[in-house]
Amino acid sequence: MDKKQKILNLLKRRILILDGATGTELQRQGMPSGVCPEVWCLENPAAIEDIHRAYQKAGADIIYTCAFGANRLKLGQYGFTNVKEINKQLVVLARRAVGNRALIAGDISSTGHFVEPFGDLMFEEAVDIFKEQVRGLLAGGVDLFVIETMMDIQEARAALIAVKEITDHFTMVTMTYETNGYTLSGTDPVTALITLQSLGADAVGCNCSTGPEAMVKFIAAMKPHATVPLVAKPNAGMPRLSGKTTVYDMDPREFASWGKKLAAAGVNLIGGCCGTTPAHIAALKRASGRAPALAPVRKSISAVSSARAFKIFNEESPLLIIGERINPTGKKALQQELLDGKLSIVRQMAREQEAQGAALLDVNVGVHKIDELDTIRKVIRLLSTGTSLPLVIDSPNMETIKAALRIYPGRALINSISGEKQKLKKLLPVAAKYGAMFILLPVTDNEIPETAARRKEIIRDIFRAARSFGFSKDDVVVDGLVMTVAANTGAAKETLKTVAWSANSFKCRTVLGLSNVSFGMPERKWMNTAFLAMAQAAGLTMAIANPADRELMKVKMAGDVFMQKDRDALLYIRHSSEYAKTDAAVAPAVKSSPGQDIYGAILEGNRDNIINLVDIALAAGMSPSGLVDDIMIPAINRAGELFDQRKYFLPQLIASAEAMKAALARVEPRLKREEGGRPGKGAIILATVKGDIHDIGKNIISLMLKNHGYTIIDLGKDVPAKAVIDSIRRSRPDIVGLSALMTTTMVNMEEVIGLARAGGYSCPFIAGGAVVTKAYAASIGAAYAKDGVEAVRVVEQLIESFSKRRISK
Amino acid sequence: MAPVLFFESISIPVPRKNIYRRLGFVKGVTDIPAAQQEEIERYIGHASSLIHLKGAGLRLPITEIKDARIILPDGAEFESLQLAKLLANCNEIVLMGTTAGREIMNAIEADATGANVTRAIVLDAAASEIVDASLDWIMDYFNQSLRRENRRLLGKRYSAGYGDLFLETQKAMHHLLQLDRIGIEITESSILIPEKSVTAITGIKAQGS
Repeated sequence: MDKKQKILNLLKRRILILDGATGTELQRQGMPSGVCPEVWCLENPAAIEDIHRAYQKAGADIIYTCAFGANRLKLGQYGFTNVKEINKQLVVLARRAVGNRALIAGDISSTGHFVEPFGDLMFEEAVDIFKEQVRGLLAGGVDLFVIETMMDIQEARAALIAVKEITDHFTMVTMTYETNGYTLSGTDPVTALITLQSLGADAVGCNCSTGPEAMVKFIAAMKPHATVPLVAKPNAGMPRLSGKTTVYDMDPREFASWGKKLAAAGVNLIGGCCGTTPAHIAALKRASGRAPALAPVRKSISAVSSARAFKIFNEESPLLIIGERINPTGKKALQQELLDGKLSIVRQMAREQEAQGAALLDVNVGVHKIDELDTIRKVIRLLSTGTSLPLVIDSPNMETIKAALRIYPGRALINSISGEKQKLKKLLPVAAKYGAMFILLPVTDNEIPETAARRKEIIRDIFRAARSFGFSKDDVVVDGLVMTVAANTGAAKETLKTVAWSANSFKCRTVLGLSNVSFGMPERKWMNTAFLAMAQAAGLTMAIANPADRELMKVKMAGDVFMQKDRDALLYIRHSSEYAKTDAAVAPAVKSSPGQDIYGAILEGNRDNIINLVDIALAAGMSPSGLVDDIMIPAINRAGELFDQRKYFLPQLIASAEAMKAALARVEPRLKREEGGRPGKGAIILATVKGDIHDIGKNIISLMLKNHGYTIIDLGKDVPAKAVIDSIRRSRPDIVGLSALMTTTMVNMEEVIGLARAGGYSCPFIAGGAVVTKAYAASIGAAYAKDGVEAVRVVEQLIESFSKRRISK
Repeated sequence: MAPVLFFESISIPVPRKNIYRRLGFVKGVTDIPAAQQEEIERYIGHASSLIHLKGAGLRLPITEIKDARIILPDGAEFESLQLAKLLANCNEIVLMGTTAGREIMNAIEADATGANVTRAIVLDAAASEIVDASLDWIMDYFNQSLRRENRRLLGKRYSAGYGDLFLETQKAMHHLLQLDRIGIEITESSILIPEKSVTAITGIKAQGS
């Protein structure tokens, strides 16, 4: 019996006990700060052997080698390069300490770098680094491997692939989750489980960062979806500063009391991380060593994942839409962008489809003369960080699929594997190696079967081949094979029969590429939508479609209700009420006068309907000047008061100002006709000074002042002092407003004012910006306003006093 | 000496409370009708989709702290009495820098010139807070590694342009962190571009300190 089988057999019988903390124990043994722990252990073998021995005597079934950071990058930081030998010798020390009384796990952890697409370490380089360490640990004679304390799912994948490409040893992978239930990179325990168990991890779980209480929740969340044993290695509570040192509060008794709870949640291997000691492990062994081990509840799972989310294909789940738009067929702009190596349209399409309700994204980069391998890698990197939706890798090219699966930081769905001999032979092992699900396309080298009966035979044949690679029906999504009714009016019926048989008799998930059904037909939208509803009734699991099609999405949601896949119709009702809200927003709620409506719209910041309301008021006979003076100005002043009282916050004030701006623009031409042009209240130059590029505050001031009847001459940002002076000479403004956000640029305000005064210009200045204070403004001879509302008041005062001075002169 | 660590994609929860606070929201005082709340949430979601957080972090030993000067290897140094006090019990520092990327700035600039100033200010506030929170993320990252050494970062961090640490310090930070590798440039007046980019310094507490 090999070691892997021996461990699996042990796990069927009981919970296995892992060791406790090594790092904190080494410090207790006198390891100084700043040294390389792995090399210190080799130089002080008695210390690490004592620790290993103490854990084994405490009852640990598995001891971790002290090789946590024994990889090329970490050791290199201390100037060590003999990676293989260091790893080998660390195993030798562990074996010398515990003999065959415990199993030795070769410990692998992070390089300290995030792996692409999340960091700067290239994926293949990471795999290579871990392989070097794996070879050293194997040379030392480890019984199994543990990949631990991983916070980057991609680095965990790289390490797991490294192990699996060298050996078939039992391999555990544990990620480290914060108390919020996510790794620092945003991966939750179930997502990591689905990715890692499908990639070949023999046990999956969590270690470090949290105490046992949080880990009970993580284990309980994973258990229903786990096909492998689960691991927990919690800290002795949460770290806390006591005087000058970090301490962990949980004593062995309290720590051990969580063992039974972890066992009840479904843990199969349990130990301790930071702060735990041999006494903690001994107590844990006493408390949970005899607790019954809950075996994994399932042998397979129909689920996919991205780096940050998962999707389980349950029979009870609503119909899923696979967004179809990232496919260059018939899309010239996308074709050109992919050829040019630019990906902004891809990013936009992903974002839009996610917002429109897609559950997965189909990704196809097939363009004539494109470097498809390079392009798919770029697109996978982009989408792995740009969307949380799991991906469907769509290509007729086997190498493209292989390249995508290798770097995709989740469990993907392949679109597709058919009965073509070469595809079966080459793609099934690739899909099996990376643990991907696949769409089973019932066609062969010589045949695109027309009848459901023939499709069934091909489906069975392909699945038989897949089963020999370890696939189950949970790993397969059968394509019902959609053909156009324009060529064969019976085609749709055969597809529906195939879906119904696959779902109800073959017991498999199903998918359709919806729009093929209407190819060559007029008004295709209706045919697609009707076909979707019928397929839904036949038991369809997912459809490849455009989620921007509102009718299609509405029919899907209604269908989910009819098929009892939307409990209490909650999703349908919520979706419908969102539309209702949008519709209601443009309709007046109660009957009121046109003036009141405009006042209310400005106060509420309702920019969508304000022009319509102004037109109604003017048509009802209100004078343009009356609208401005009696309705709009009081409304915006009221918004300012509410802002001063902090009943409004900034977005509300600005929304009001923008509503008024739109209303003013509508009224302005009539104002001119009515009065032969209203006299302006004054002209104001605004500028963000030289060196400063921050101008949003200045734009807010501009908006507020324009609404109050001032003419604004906006010089923009990064404006040299001379340009301001030139503008003063040309425009003779009533006031000049200067803005700066940084301490380094604030000083340029003084230069502008100095130049103006030297040139004989006496216009008042007003200064503002994040770092500007009233005192600083006064010191350079400027007035000050802290925000847009105050700016209007200060400007009014300045203009009044400036005109008085002009008159008195 | 450890190399600069680059984080090509930082994922953090949206710091909603901080975004609202930055925009002037006061709990129990500010009243937001449902429609406006929905609009603001939509803009925060939009900001989140336009922000692509990248970062860099560097662990450096302190050669010496002399008066207000923090002297680092290879002759680099920072001058600030307040920072020197903060780092008094540290023998190492962590430098960090992050950026929200250009896409969010393009959107803010397009909106701020008049297209939709309301959206611009929400995007602006969201970007500022999300970038700031990404520094917390980098600190969490270092703390997680330091836990194994029974050490941790100081709870506070310091940025150039605040207190007596001159903004010009940002040039040295930019150089040490190789921020150009994650698309951050620096102007003559020490302003980082894209605008929503930040740097900070914190200390690593010595073991037992």
